[in-house]
Amino acid sequence: MRIIDINLDQLFEAPWNPNQMQPDDLARLKKSLQTYGLVQNLVVRPLDTDRFEVLSGNHRLKVLQELKISPVSCVVVNIDDARSRILAQALNHIHGEDDLGLRAEVLRQALETISEEEIRSILPETKGSFEALVSLGQGNIAEYLQTWEKTQSARLKHFQFQLIPTQVAIVEEALAHILPQAYRLRRENPNIRGTALYLLCKFYLEKQKNE
Amino acid sequence: MECWTNALFKPEKIALTDQGPVASQFAILPIPMLVAKKLLERHHYLHTLPGGTMLRFGVFVGPRLLGVLTFGAGPALAYSLVEGARLENCLTLTRLWLSDELPANSESRALGYAIRALRKHTCLKFLVAYSDPAAGHRGVIYQAANWLYTGLSAPTPLYDLGDNIARHSRSVAHAFGTHSLEYFSRQGMQVKLVSQLPKYRYLYFLDPRWRQRLKVPVLPYPKKGEPDENH
Repeated sequence: MRIIDINLDQLFEAPWNPNQMQPDDLARLKKSLQTYGLVQNLVVRPLDTDRFEVLSGNHRLKVLQELKISPVSCVVVNIDDARSRILAQALNHIHGEDDLGLRAEVLRQALETISEEEIRSILPETKGSFEALVSLGQGNIAEYLQTWEKTQSARLKHFQFQLIPTQVAIVEEALAHILPQAYRLRRENPNIRGTALYLLCKFYLEKQKNE
Repeated sequence: MECWTNALFKPEKIALTDQGPVASQFAILPIPMLVAKKLLERHHYLHTLPGGTMLRFGVFVGPRLLGVLTFGAGPALAYSLVEGARLENCLTLTRLWLSDELPANSESRALGYAIRALRKHTCLKFLVAYSDPAAGHRGVIYQAANWLYTGLSAPTPLYDLGDNIARHSRSVAHAFGTHSLEYFSRQGMQVKLVSQLPKYRYLYFLDPRWRQRLKVPVLPYPKKGEPDENH
């Protein structure tokens, strides 16, 4: 094993590499390479005297080609086809797992000096997942439960009906008739269709009483 | 600001098993849905965050997030175990996962903290929890925390719609509006029922005055290797 600088035009993607990267993440990788440079060597093996196959760093190779960064620092290994595939798999898949609580701390510390926009341009997080992580461990259990309790009492009662298509047509027709009246009660219940159903039931019960 | 200082409870010492005794703070704090989902899918034996999840707590030791508890709707008729109870009076403990790094009594401790918070800050009257004997669980943590054992739940079968995937009846009803076998048969669908083992059912009264309303008898805790009389 040796570490040497190799010209970009001598490096070739491994056609058998199963690892794929979506355009969003490739953009993040590009941003990372532009910000920090190539901080990790590519791992390659010689194909012949002046051509090398990339075992680890195929996505970085794409970005380096786009940015025309050459030469590239590489670790050269002399291994056969089978072992090169296993090494690539090992390099891609053997890694630790973040404790999300500690990760949240890391992000909060970074946010003290780097903007959210810049961090998210490099890390594979959506706005939602980033905000969820950053808020982790910051909540107050009393406030959380008290808010939940309030929202429970504000919740409209949920009714669910399952109908066959011919029944749907009848119900929709009846609801359409009474919707204007239901609309007038929208301050009481903002769910107009719910109120329409209530008015239909009330109308039916009153009719029964009068018969 | 340290992230765990908002916790309701006083700091206490806890040992992380692979790091030796360390003075850390053990706390239960709310966590976002996304984080609960990620952890449960990764670590819980069922690998899912159940639908209808209403409350999510993380188990923190210092800044580390080492466990998750979720509460939700649970089985539709769980509330009917208690006379006069309505749906909003109870929640089901739907998932509980703690890292093996934590000492053995941590599950009871985390559950105890969550119960104290629910009692103090909500109007909930009781909690329900199920232990899955198929996964080798008997509900030892509920026993240690003095939950009431009320026997085995009536097992609801899973539904195979002809694709060899066993689905919960709730998922089927959600997708089709019903889980009536007769209806499926009339529609020409070949649906097979996949039987499930019943689960041990435990109750905990947050409001002790509601204890007398329990409609089912309280039974002795199931013990290891002891066949349950309701089997």
